[in-house]
Amino acid sequence: MSSPVKKKTLSKEQILSAVIVLLFYAAVFIAEQIIPSTSMLFTVLKKGATYALVAVSMNLLNGFTGIFSLGQAGFMLIGAYVYAIFTIPLAQRASVYQYYNGGIVQFTLPLFLAMILAGLVAAFFAFLIGLPVLRLKSDYLAVATLGFAEIMRAVFQWDKIGPLTNGSNMLRLFPTFNDFNIRNASGEVTIYLSTLVPLLISGFCIALIVLLINSTFGRALRAIKDDEIAAEAMGIHLSSHKQLAFCISSFFTGVGGAMLAMYQTTVQAKSFTTAMTYEILLIVVIGGIGSVTGSCISSFLFVACSEWWLRFLDQKQMIGNFEVPLLRNGFRLVVFSVIIMIVVLFFRQGIMGTRELPDLFRKRQRDKKKGGLKA
Amino acid sequence: MSEHVLKIEHLTMQFGGVVAVDDFSMFINKGEIVALIGPNGAGKTTAFNAVTGVYTPTSGSISLLGEKITGKRPDQITKLGIARTFQNIRLFSSMTVFENVLTAHHLRKTSNIFTATLRLNAAEERRMREDTAALLRQVDLYDLRDEMATSLPYGKQRLLEIVRALATRPKLLLLDEPAAGMNPQETDELAEFIRQIRDVFNLSIFIIEHHMNLVMEISDRIYVIEFGKQIAEGVPSEIQNNEAVIAAYLGGDDL
Amino acid sequence: MKGCVYPVWNTIFPYLLSGISVGGQYALIAIGYTMVYGILRLINFAHGDVFMVAGILMVYISASGLPLFLSIPLVLLVTSLIGYLIERIAYKPLRQAPRMSVMISAIGVSYTLQNLVLYITGGLNQLYPTIPWISSSITIGSATTKIVTVITPFLTIALVVGLVLLINNTKIGMAMRAVSKDFETSQLMGININRVISVTFVIGSFLAGVGSLLYFSNYTTVIQTSGAMPGLKAFVAAVFGGIGSIPGAVIGAFIIGIAENIIKGLDIILFKAGLIAKPLGLATFSDAFTFALLIIILVVKPTGLFGEKTTDKV
Repeated sequence: MSSPVKKKTLSKEQILSAVIVLLFYAAVFIAEQIIPSTSMLFTVLKKGATYALVAVSMNLLNGFTGIFSLGQAGFMLIGAYVYAIFTIPLAQRASVYQYYNGGIVQFTLPLFLAMILAGLVAAFFAFLIGLPVLRLKSDYLAVATLGFAEIMRAVFQWDKIGPLTNGSNMLRLFPTFNDFNIRNASGEVTIYLSTLVPLLISGFCIALIVLLINSTFGRALRAIKDDEIAAEAMGIHLSSHKQLAFCISSFFTGVGGAMLAMYQTTVQAKSFTTAMTYEILLIVVIGGIGSVTGSCISSFLFVACSEWWLRFLDQKQMIGNFEVPLLRNGFRLVVFSVIIMIVVLFFRQGIMGTRELPDLFRKRQRDKKKGGLKA
Repeated sequence: MSEHVLKIEHLTMQFGGVVAVDDFSMFINKGEIVALIGPNGAGKTTAFNAVTGVYTPTSGSISLLGEKITGKRPDQITKLGIARTFQNIRLFSSMTVFENVLTAHHLRKTSNIFTATLRLNAAEERRMREDTAALLRQVDLYDLRDEMATSLPYGKQRLLEIVRALATRPKLLLLDEPAAGMNPQETDELAEFIRQIRDVFNLSIFIIEHHMNLVMEISDRIYVIEFGKQIAEGVPSEIQNNEAVIAAYLGGDDL
Repeated sequence: MKGCVYPVWNTIFPYLLSGISVGGQYALIAIGYTMVYGILRLINFAHGDVFMVAGILMVYISASGLPLFLSIPLVLLVTSLIGYLIERIAYKPLRQAPRMSVMISAIGVSYTLQNLVLYITGGLNQLYPTIPWISSSITIGSATTKIVTVITPFLTIALVVGLVLLINNTKIGMAMRAVSKDFETSQLMGININRVISVTFVIGSFLAGVGSLLYFSNYTTVIQTSGAMPGLKAFVAAVFGGIGSIPGAVIGAFIIGIAENIIKGLDIILFKAGLIAKPLGLATFSDAFTFALLIIILVVKPTGLFGEKTTDKV
């Protein structure tokens, strides 16, 4: 990883990686101003940014702490609802909560505050559920968290708390990604930011997670993943560190849920299914369990394939007079599943294994160094 | 109150119907190297696990420098000053040599999750890294610092595990079969190494070992158990001539 | 007294009856989970989807015009074969891999089966064929229900007894018990592990197939997601009863089936009993209850009702 002892300046590889990320942001900003905002590119970037954050959060548990949690959909649901409930403009509440007399929440929070609150509420639920569940072994923990997500889905649709959650009805009319665009007095967009801002939010959160992973706490979490008994013998308190990782992961999953709400423009509990968790898990696996970079890359790839590049598989295609067989609605997902099974069975390292972006540049250098030592 | 670094009184460990350790008492004085020997399955590692908090004793008490540690968690006991190695090496496999030792400094952190994430603990982090580097230099592992821990040769892995335990700054070090799988030369080096760390780090050492040459060479005192019960106690020369011990080892072909 | 008790009982009885029936269906799925876990220490996340695929197979095979006495055995045969193939393709190559990898593979299989069925059916609800006699109505006391509801528990018990006899009295059954006790040692003792595992998957899938015949005859439609919920609930049942224990799974399944259906009717029951004035919408929680039960049992007694305790060696 990083060079030991003196670590005052960033390494060359880290600077190079930072430059790449900045160039990416600059490219997105420029693209947004010149390409029509209806392009699929932006859909992919927006949804990809959301999924990247959730995938990295899941990776913090699966890849860095060794906790196999499948509660992602539940924490996203909490985040999405908290965000939506506290940001729907007062004037719109009567129409959104039409069956509940405008609902009981009669104030709104600023957008970013609502996003943080979304994370905090998700983290609070994680804390409560973590107390019993984190004591369980890997596979039991997986099912218990899956169960938790299902309970959340049922509870949020309960008629009795409708004044808060709107029951099984949709929440809508809250600020979305499009509200990040800067408009002039007549309402025309002057600067497009609806893609850049979600990418920045997601990037900022992921950067925090990376900093955490590379801190002394991150090392403790990795120790727990490698060997719980040895970690404990090193003075690491297992349950408090696991609880910490679980709450932090859920915090960012909650923020990711808020972003998903903004992306979708509506929120409905029934859409936060187990399948959603599975998708996030598969993204993490494809990217490489234990690689933040991998999770990010595979999020964008996954979303691009499912929303854009592989769309043609769902429609009839003619080559001349020849109709390509098999192509019809749903074929894309079949192809997808097959790819995933191939990755799971034959490329268990995923795209990145446990490597990160700076490691890609470092590899050649390390080899050089070794040669130098021998000489 | 007590002079003893470690004091075990009437320790009994029971699993279902099996009594693994039966009314075992012992003590270790400051600076002593004490060995616990006995045939396979005699309950040696079980006793270690009771001392380090992996198991909670069925009855009896264990104290460190007069403070009772029975019933405490393993991480609490490590923080109080008992470190250990494992019979089957348990290094952190995803980490380098350096990171393995660095992780052992986590227990003395004063930072919390926020200060650590936002790098407000830079001074502490630097100190941890410096201490780690110094320790690795001391034991000649510094050149291997960027190797993956599990890619080291077997003997070095055993050594690294001891170093990692030392990084927690223990008062008492528990070594569970440190010479297992080592050749005679490595075993000799290990004996020297154990004495050295005792002196340099001001340690008391509690060791389980099957290599009788090593045990006889370095131990100040030896406890022998069989079927969880103590059958002998004394200095190496006494143990070598103890008939009960010889009988336990089936004619004592190891001795 | 009488006048007070009987109307309430008459309200409860239909829910109880369908609870027992659903419980039986869950039991047939739960056995597959518990047997696979007992041997491979793997939660076979795809098992619920095998159950769903059995339902889809029945839809397509009977649409081809095959008579029932042929189509039912064919469905069970193909379902067993699918279970066998899943194990061979997706789990066997990972036998030396960490447990997390196998679990991920199981989730991948589940995802694949659902997507495959989505593709084939176009994502539309498929009408389950009516199986004569068992789909006809019957009235018992205060409950009017399908015959399938009544015969399910009996059929379940019969199959379980058969299975227990098989495990206790045949050579392969003995091998299965040995493998679930100690994987490595039984391998050293010359037991053909792969054969035992295959047989386990075949039996599990076969029973899930039978379960699907009963379940979908009652619910009448199948869609690609139909297996997820019953699958998860059956798994909870297996955990509740003590994973690895067949009688435990069956008892757990009946308890969950009954409890879930009572909760579905709880509003009406409480209303009829005069305990509440207006409905509370508690039926929403019939699914949530199962998972709450799972979390509680895992925390209070992780080994379940009949599970064995295992300890880790340091």
